[in-house]
Amino acid sequence: MRPRVLRAVTRTVLLEHLRTPEAVFWTYGFPLVMALVLGFAFGEGKAEPSRVAVVDDAPAALIAAIDEHSEDRVTAQTMTAMEARRALTLGLVDLVVSGEPARPVFDLDPMRTGSELARLQVERALLRAGGAVDPGAGSLIRPVDEPGDRYIDFLIAGLIGMNLLGAGMYGIGYNVVMMRSNKLLRRLAVTPMRRGEFLAAFLMSRTLLALPPPLAILAFGIFAFGVPVHGSWLALLGLILLGTLTFAGLGLLVASRARTSESVSGWINLVTMPMWLLGGIFFSNERFPDLVQPLVRAMPMTQFTDGMRGIMLGSFDPGQIATSAVGLAVVGLLSFAAALRLFRWN
Amino acid sequence: MSRAAHGGRGPAIRLAGLRKVYTTRGRPPVVAVDGLDLTVERGEIFGLLGPNGAGKTTTVEICEGLLDATEGVVEVLGMDWGGDAEQIRARIGVSLQDTRLFEKQTVAELCALFAGLYEPSRSVEELIALVQLEEKADTRYAHLSGGQRQRLAVATALAGRPELLFLDEPTTGLDPQSRRSLWDVIRAYRDEDGGTVVLTTHYMEEAAQLCDRVMVVDHGRSIALGSPAELIAGLGAAHVVEARAPGLAARVDGGVLEGIEGILERHANGDRLHLSVTAPHVVLPGILRAFERAGVELEALTTRHTSLEDVFVHLTGRQLRDGGES
Ligand SMILES: Nc1ncnc2c1ncn2[C@@H]1O[C@H](COP(=O)(O)OP(=O)(O)OP(=O)(O)O)[C@@H](O)[C@H]1O
Ligand SMILES: [Mg+2]
Repeated sequence: MRPRVLRAVTRTVLLEHLRTPEAVFWTYGFPLVMALVLGFAFGEGKAEPSRVAVVDDAPAALIAAIDEHSEDRVTAQTMTAMEARRALTLGLVDLVVSGEPARPVFDLDPMRTGSELARLQVERALLRAGGAVDPGAGSLIRPVDEPGDRYIDFLIAGLIGMNLLGAGMYGIGYNVVMMRSNKLLRRLAVTPMRRGEFLAAFLMSRTLLALPPPLAILAFGIFAFGVPVHGSWLALLGLILLGTLTFAGLGLLVASRARTSESVSGWINLVTMPMWLLGGIFFSNERFPDLVQPLVRAMPMTQFTDGMRGIMLGSFDPGQIATSAVGLAVVGLLSFAAALRLFRWN
Repeated sequence: MSRAAHGGRGPAIRLAGLRKVYTTRGRPPVVAVDGLDLTVERGEIFGLLGPNGAGKTTTVEICEGLLDATEGVVEVLGMDWGGDAEQIRARIGVSLQDTRLFEKQTVAELCALFAGLYEPSRSVEELIALVQLEEKADTRYAHLSGGQRQRLAVATALAGRPELLFLDEPTTGLDPQSRRSLWDVIRAYRDEDGGTVVLTTHYMEEAAQLCDRVMVVDHGRSIALGSPAELIAGLGAAHVVEARAPGLAARVDGGVLEGIEGILERHANGDRLHLSVTAPHVVLPGILRAFERAGVELEALTTRHTSLEDVFVHLTGRQLRDGGES
């Protein structure tokens, strides 16, 4: 690797990106818009019945009252207190109900209008069932707005992962293939630049470009929603850098041979789709059937979102976070090595 | 002092029995180069001349290491692509037939990029001045005209002070003035830096004026090799007479020109007639009389010096470029 060559190419790739305003919007602006929309409006404006979790040690009368008197405006599920709390965090239910029919206890996220609506519907059902209760006086409302328990706290790590995946796939994968299909790579191939130098310079410039958006998303989460970072900041930043490199390596790999934008799009979908669905971006992937768990676990996106949440929400011990980091690094190194072998200029 | 002056031993390029067959699945194989032997000496400006699809680009790209030969020997600057690829790349400069560069970089930035890939290299100012793009130094590639892009491509090819320069159709699409100034750049590179140039072209005039030697290629084979003057002299005719009249070919085939002395060769096609002659002033009166006697109504009659174009017509019976200008 000759620094002179790396510098020349890195500079070119950086400038090329920064001079494309629409690309800048999609990498920087879009994730923030997405966080804003999802963070504020989650669960708003729906006509479906409210989803409610009833804690399983509550008296049967409570469940029966909700089931029979909610006029189908509420669907109730019973689960353990822990499960119910988690489902609320993940946005799988709008409200958790416990206590007794006369003195219900509501756990809800006041940021979500769906939660408030669900509470009102359940109170009406209880009123109709019992007739004699005064829910206003008798019920206890416990808002779960402590940072760390809300969906937005869960979501930020996923959004960052999604952003880094996009930066690797499109910022690197797609761009390299475009350079191949318009024969720019052929021109570079007849210079004394080595393959490794080109790939490293591309990786470097793209990593520099890919780092600010996750930091912006994180800062946005912290300042707009008070998303917590319970664990080490150093570990968090390290993991973001590692994730950036890993997804960049995957990007180089999908770009190593494809000649046309169509064929690289196919490869990008092949990598991206499973990660969106199973990588724990928008919802937890712990509940997927055992059959797909090996796939879920093998995914760098799972490693990344797990590690991020482990650090931010403080729910993991350092050993588990280290495992995630090693998993990511392995995928990243293997991808880069494979890309180096497979890469062709033509 | 350029490196070119004290490069390695041997000719700049040696090709022996070069063949290239393109195989695409589901299609019959295409033989693009069919047994080419060629030695380009150092310090030469060498031209590959031939119609579309003759195999010029394929030959040049094999020499540049972009394509693999199907068969044959390829030596560049006395080295072999198999073992010395990086060495060769450091010592050649290339302008491809159709390259796109980074769209959003300026002329100066692109020169800096390529200069950054070589050691030693020319300065950005020098490169820009070489191809006279000073006014466009801060213009982005996307906003350059086709001719300006061509010139920039040549500048990037010169960035590493190469010993051997490959230019694939460097002047196609240039206006006559830009073409001439690019010829000057190429000559200066050879004369001052002692470099070797291999270029491809469709322009006979260009080959005749610029190249020390040319190889005329058709269907992947060499059909003539030598200096432009030698090739023309080889025809034995210094002049060409061309005539046009309705149905002329049929009349001539019917024997209208029989018995006229001094016609070395003739090609007739439709309304057109093409004669190679040693001395037009001797032959023309007889030709005109013969036409008049046969009632041929001439629409045009021209005479000119024999050109490389005629060499091609002589060898293949076809025009080099169908209906082309200049
Ligand atoms: N990648 C390819 N796959 C299949 N056939 C090809 C390929 N590239 C070139 N050919 C064929 O090989 C032959 C030689 O092509 P080449 O590009 O070398 O010609 P050329 O002399 O450079 O022509 P031009 O003057 O049009 O540039 C042509 O018949 C062409 O169709
Ligand atoms: Mg060509």
